Amino acid sequence: MQLSRFIPRRLYVSFSLLTAGVVLLAFPFARAAQKTALHADGTPADPFQEAAGKPAVFVFVRTDCPISNRYAPLIQRISARYRGKAGFWLVYLGKWASRERIRQHESEYGYKLPAMRDPQHALVARAQVQVTPEAAVFDAHQRLIYHGRIDNWYEDLGHSRPAATTHELDDAIQAALTGKAPPPSAPGVGCYIADAQ
Amino acid sequence: MTSSLRTFVACALGLSSVTAAAFAQRKDLAARHKQPTAQQVTFNRDIAPIVFHYCAPCHRPGEAGPFPLLTYSEAKAHARQIAAVTATRFMPPWLPEPQPAKFADELRLSDEQIALFQRWVEQSAVEGAPSDLPPAPRFISGWQLGQPDKVIEAEKPYTLPATGSDMYWNFIFRAPVDRTRWLKAIEIRPGDKRVVHHANILVDRGQSARHQESEPGAGFAGMELKIESENFDPDSHFFFWKPGTVLKPEPEGMALRLDKDTDLVLNIHLQPSGKPETIQPSLGLYFTDKHATLFPVLLQLENDRQLDIPPGQKHFVVTDKFTLPVDVDLLAIYPHAHYLGKDLQALATLPDGSVKALIHIPQWNLNWQAVYRYANPVPLPKGTTISMRYVYDNSSDNVANPNDPPRRVVAGNRSMDEMAHLWLQVLPHTSPDMAFDPRMLLQEAMARHNVEKNPADFEAHYNLAAMLMARGEQAEAIKQFEQAVQLRPQDATANNALGASLLAAGRADEAISYLSAALKVQPDNFDAQYNLANALVSQEKFAEAIEHYRAAVRLRPGDANAEANLGGALAETGNLAEAKVHFQRALQIDPHHKLARENLEQISGDLNHPQP
Repeated sequence: MQLSRFIPRRLYVSFSLLTAGVVLLAFPFARAAQKTALHADGTPADPFQEAAGKPAVFVFVRTDCPISNRYAPLIQRISARYRGKAGFWLVYLGKWASRERIRQHESEYGYKLPAMRDPQHALVARAQVQVTPEAAVFDAHQRLIYHGRIDNWYEDLGHSRPAATTHELDDAIQAALTGKAPPPSAPGVGCYIADAQ
Repeated sequence: MTSSLRTFVACALGLSSVTAAAFAQRKDLAARHKQPTAQQVTFNRDIAPIVFHYCAPCHRPGEAGPFPLLTYSEAKAHARQIAAVTATRFMPPWLPEPQPAKFADELRLSDEQIALFQRWVEQSAVEGAPSDLPPAPRFISGWQLGQPDKVIEAEKPYTLPATGSDMYWNFIFRAPVDRTRWLKAIEIRPGDKRVVHHANILVDRGQSARHQESEPGAGFAGMELKIESENFDPDSHFFFWKPGTVLKPEPEGMALRLDKDTDLVLNIHLQPSGKPETIQPSLGLYFTDKHATLFPVLLQLENDRQLDIPPGQKHFVVTDKFTLPVDVDLLAIYPHAHYLGKDLQALATLPDGSVKALIHIPQWNLNWQAVYRYANPVPLPKGTTISMRYVYDNSSDNVANPNDPPRRVVAGNRSMDEMAHLWLQVLPHTSPDMAFDPRMLLQEAMARHNVEKNPADFEAHYNLAAMLMARGEQAEAIKQFEQAVQLRPQDATANNALGASLLAAGRADEAISYLSAALKVQPDNFDAQYNLANALVSQEKFAEAIEHYRAAVRLRPGDANAEANLGGALAETGNLAEAKVHFQRALQIDPHHKLARENLEQISGDLNHPQP
């Protein structure tokens, strides 16, 4: 009897597993709806995992946004400065951001940092950015400590300083590395991300 | 010889996140096919006509706009951007305020048009009925006026660095003509239009800019140019390119003379794009057989001397005014300041006391500077006073301020210096009974005005004297030349001009001292050699004169007058055989040279029948 009692329990367990299996079978649909960033080659990306416990920095760009393009040399310089200390990604937005177009754009503008695509705006939502070029800095605990402009070069569309006098992105990365207070978020000037759907 | 030394200054645009691509697609389809309500703004009906007219000229492939705006999907992909940039009037770029004297090709949106963009975006930027869509705008591909008669390309490209401050580069184009031709249009192809903010051609008849090149064809950096000319040939045309420029031939009768030794200097303003850009502009020249019959002039109001702006000064005012000595039609206007300029305004006060607004730019932006042509010529009668009033902001509130922290700024040619210039293209009225070319009267009045503004202005004294001399006002001309020489005692051109004027006034002794001074500074100055020889002849110092004529002939072998006068001086000393050679050379150069022919006949007789 004990055995016979045992058997149903096993059946029950295996039924539970089967149920779990059914639930798992149902999940792929739900997972597809979950927003995911992609590597430039189209494979799913989890930059926070790739950052491996280091701060993660994202700069959002668009190939046809003249202001984010003008920032290319500076973005490249800052990313090189923190190589090995933080994960650093360019995030291309817009439906034109194909693998080939990204590769060509990176080559033209001298980018050497890894690029991602964010067609579903998964990173956009998490980073709370509004325009290109804006940046987001997450600390080693994946907490968003800064999002907004790279610096104050542009005051408004058509109104730029000869040179920036504040350097928010650089300061924010320093804050993520040292634990100091990050700069307050300040909106960027450029092209609306909401248009890039 | 008259001389004038003149200084000439030389559409970009950018909904909450979507849960899945499929959903985005459905939403897009829904937007496209949503039936518009009576109040709904649609792309096809309301937005396309505005975008096609105001935006598409630049926002199309190959033009300055960073992305095309020729279709619904292209406009939708930038819908919020368009709404934002039109709301602030950043786009389309058009700086002047509306005024009764309208400009040609105005790109100013009405408040109603701007509101339409806002509503379109608020209402999900729908496409609307296909039947409402106007025909796509048509643009001429290639050269805008057809294949040019001549295309010239800059000899060497310029590579703009990926980053850094704005760059001003000059390309020199040698006129590709072997004789004088007349130009009805020049199309400027500035290179990659996405990095060129504006381009401006200066006509350099004396090839004076070449010396700034490190090697021929290399071009040179510089925001402002000084073009020198030794002939009375006032600047007359604007050849200006900015994004979206619609090229039009010069008005009938206003062709530009292009001589074979003329350079066209293209001054271009470049903005780094983030990647290195190679710029190699070309010019398309369109010739005409119709010589100019109408001669416009560029007038310049300026007051660079007033420009001494303390750091922190938010409202620094510079003014100038000029009263027209003749009736003119104002054709175009070109205000110019650098990065501290804030509010630029020009007015005309007519003799009857009425005031016309010529231009008002309440928010100056150097990046969008332009030549503005009036839709119709603005008549300004003699006695009209044109006034300019420019306001500068040298505080740190001015984000374009090149100095951080602000510092004292004065006038200068560098972008960190300032300028207060207003150029006007005017067409003087002419009539057959006019004793003098009205252009000369304008130049004289302008030079007199500049002398009054700045008694230390060498060029103004010089130009005023030259105009007076041309009008036969010898005594006053000499006084003005004297002041020019006092200001620049080492200037060969001024010393020569003063010497020539004194000689013309019969004051040969004084003339000889200034002409000698000119030659001391510049021994290869043909005019001074020739004039000094003439002065010496007037004092019957033939042997000395012969030396200077010989020098003149060496410097300019094709000058019939120098040859004829050398012959004359030789004949005076009895050297008839050599004199004959020079009279003959003069006649080879100019078969109609009367003096050479008469003298040759005279000495031929003497040579055949020697006096005992």
